Amino acid sequence: MSMITDELYECFKTNLEAVGGSCVRSSKAELGKTVANLFKGIDIADACLVESPLFAEAGVKAAMEAAGIETHTDHIRLHGETDKGGISEAQYGIAELGTLVQVSDNIDARIAAIMPEYYIGVVKGSAIVPEYDEMFFKLAQLPEIPGFMGFITGPSRTADIECVSTIGVHGPLKLTAIVVDDE
Amino acid sequence: MAVLVDEKVREEQELQQKRSSELKQEIHDALDNTTLARTLGNFCKTYPGRRLKSYEGIDFEGNREKIKEVKSYAADHVDEMIEKFTTNCEKRGGHVFHAHSTEEGMEFIRQLVKEKGVKTIVKSKSMASEELKFNHVLGDDGVLVQETDLGEFIIALEGNTPVHMVMPALHLNKEQVADLFTEYTKVENKPIISEEVKTARKVMREKFITADMGVSGANVAVAETGTVFTMTNEGNGRMVGTLPKIHLYIFGIEKFVDKFEDARYIFKSLPRNGTCQRITSYISMYTGANEVVLDKETDEKGPKDFYCVILDDPGRRAILAEPEFRQMYECIRCGACLDVCPAFALVGGHVFGSNVYTGGIGTMLTHFLVSDERAEQIQNICLQCGRCKEVCAAGLQIPEMIMKLREKSAEEHPNNIKKFALDAVSDRKLFHSMLRIASVAQAPFTKGQPFIRHLPMFLSGLTEGRSFPNIAKVPFRDIFPTMIQKVPEVKGNIAMFGGCLLDFVYTDLAQDVILDLNSIGYKVDFPMDQACCGCPASNMGDVENARKEAEINIEAMHAEDYDYIVSACPSCTHQIRQYPTFFEEGTEMHKRAVTLAEKTFDFAKLFVMLGGLADEGDGKELKVTYHDSCHLKRSLGVFQEQRDLLSHTKGVEIVEMQDSDQCCGFGGSYSVLYPEISAPILANKIENIKETCADCVAVDCPGCMMQIRGGLDARDIPMEVKHTATIIAEKRGLR
Ligand code: SF4
Ligand code: SF4
Repeated sequence: MSMITDELYECFKTNLEAVGGSCVRSSKAELGKTVANLFKGIDIADACLVESPLFAEAGVKAAMEAAGIETHTDHIRLHGETDKGGISEAQYGIAELGTLVQVSDNIDARIAAIMPEYYIGVVKGSAIVPEYDEMFFKLAQLPEIPGFMGFITGPSRTADIECVSTIGVHGPLKLTAIVVDDE
Repeated sequence: MAVLVDEKVREEQELQQKRSSELKQEIHDALDNTTLARTLGNFCKTYPGRRLKSYEGIDFEGNREKIKEVKSYAADHVDEMIEKFTTNCEKRGGHVFHAHSTEEGMEFIRQLVKEKGVKTIVKSKSMASEELKFNHVLGDDGVLVQETDLGEFIIALEGNTPVHMVMPALHLNKEQVADLFTEYTKVENKPIISEEVKTARKVMREKFITADMGVSGANVAVAETGTVFTMTNEGNGRMVGTLPKIHLYIFGIEKFVDKFEDARYIFKSLPRNGTCQRITSYISMYTGANEVVLDKETDEKGPKDFYCVILDDPGRRAILAEPEFRQMYECIRCGACLDVCPAFALVGGHVFGSNVYTGGIGTMLTHFLVSDERAEQIQNICLQCGRCKEVCAAGLQIPEMIMKLREKSAEEHPNNIKKFALDAVSDRKLFHSMLRIASVAQAPFTKGQPFIRHLPMFLSGLTEGRSFPNIAKVPFRDIFPTMIQKVPEVKGNIAMFGGCLLDFVYTDLAQDVILDLNSIGYKVDFPMDQACCGCPASNMGDVENARKEAEINIEAMHAEDYDYIVSACPSCTHQIRQYPTFFEEGTEMHKRAVTLAEKTFDFAKLFVMLGGLADEGDGKELKVTYHDSCHLKRSLGVFQEQRDLLSHTKGVEIVEMQDSDQCCGFGGSYSVLYPEISAPILANKIENIKETCADCVAVDCPGCMMQIRGGLDARDIPMEVKHTATIIAEKRGLR
């Protein structure tokens, strides 16, 4: 795994911002703090967190709780109904589109990314591929396609009333990607 | 017996007339809907530019070939696709039901819903479910079916059908939406779009959380892996596939591709063509019984109940069985063909469509999958301009298929009134003498006079917002013998195909074409027995008369005797190029048709081919804006030659108008059948022309010339409209 280049990161960020998302970069050590600051920044008091080895290692949950955010790591289906924030790790990213790619049948990860109003998707820098086609090949070559895979590109949106583009319908109203530098 | 037949014919006529006047009413209603005009008009205006931008860096043509390739492969192996998908989805714990009719599919779903005790359903967009009348049937069974796509939700509240395949509620404004929401939620909703979207989120959230079943439509189904794909922006598709414990997919056999990576071509064009996005917010891929939370209180998880209903009804099989329509299988339902369609931009999909499918491709889908009768009405709305073909994600021959539909219905229900006119056109003598009579007595060309009914459709188009040209006092066939052609060194011989407009209306233009060709060393002949090219007959689906006319012209033009055939009307050129398709291969007629077709060129193309491009001209300043004829640009691929000819002409300055290749609304017989649609299309063209402040509009089609001249004239705009051949003749001093 090689580290993400500045150029590739900028490409990912630019494209995500172009569709109304935001993007920050963080080291693994700073990840917990970065997450907590983002949530606190828009007054999120409770959030669903889907644990992953990266989150555990970086101590994300502890950092969130230390910042006073009520953090749920189980009963996510239930808490998803009321929690304002959601955070999970995405397996890949596509730079040319600003897309987060979920490759996992874990239902909690799907819930955390769709139910709350604010979603943070964390992706390792080394897991960001430059192009869409490359991503498709990677998925096609998996030994077995997981029960669920999904692309998320920016917050949910609609143009169904008078063709006016409006952000935030059934999914998140806000979305931030955190690109974590691999060590 | 004879009486019986007459009776039937009369009934048929009455029915057709009734339907046609109903459709006219629908057209008027649509044109009166100011919201539709504003939103759809704006959308369609900005669409081409936004679409192009989304394709930056993408090889659209290349991707289109790939889509064709993977989808046609699936079409050729459709039974294998169904089998493979079924095996692979079931291997992963899913259940697949192969429905051989819409009724069978719906019955299976009804039973499933009953068996599982389903009370509420959340549904993301699925056009196949509309074909099953899903909401209706289950509603009658007492099941609550909630449309969750915002647009679909709004039209469900309105009790209407989608006006557009991708944007179903374009015909309503925010005030109307607010009223619908107020009525539904029983609290007041303000006409503020962002607030309305919030209301939708709130209303739907509750339904998502409590629904027993989620229903989705697929954009793609992969046979090799048993994976179904759904693309949405709102996130409703995700919610439907994430929360309920039972998940049902409904899709037609046309959604298959063989391999997982094949899907990538489709998702490259679908968002770009559909909504001018490089990608939508969500693409979700489900393979078999994926995980779900079974009990939110205990947090128990497990595989969901996952069902796929594959719709394989006789209509879909009929599409595959008909060689001319089989390509419909390749359609990815992106809606681009609607977004560029000039007729659709005006009236929307409630008129140009059925309760499920809309626009040009929707006309064919309606014919095979929804209602043959409805398709028969709306197929006449198409102007045959060909714009849809240019942007189609799968390169479908949409106008050609619409033409085939017309042929089919002309065969099945010949409309005697239309046919009378066409019979007259193909009877050369009768037609020509009618026009001569008309030229003596111009009065009958006034609207409402009895004679007009008997005129060929494409000439009887005196409509609002456009003046009708005068029939020439002396037809070109009588002028030609008096012309003296001075060609010192003859390089070759050309025969001119005049077509009705050159022969009987624009006789000066016919002379200009000859003068131009003389000036570069070619002698021109005008075979007297030539008749109407047959384009009006073809346009109305009357193959019999079109073939008759082809025969007359093959005989008359005697292409074997000439180096080239020149036509100054792209619709005639296009039609002559079609002649070989009217005859069986191997026959003498076919051979002769091919010879004629291969030698026939449009003026600009031929003139440049034969070395006519030269820096000549009187040098007098003339600001020219160019209007592309639909046939010349899109069917014959000629758009540069005329511009080169004009820009090399000394004194001429070209100023391009906006959307120069947007149809002028003439469309052959079209402006007569649907003046309601034709007139605003013309008005739009005139606006774009006016903005250029040019002195002269250059065209290469006498039909466009007639239409645009009429439009300018009716508005008292003193701008000239001239054929390229005329500008050359004038500027080079050949007259
Ligand atoms: S040919 Fe022109 S009028 Fe006909 S469906 Fe296509 S875009 Fe519309
Ligand atoms: S016919 Fe072509 S442009 Fe129209 S919806 Fe189908 S794929 Fe898209």
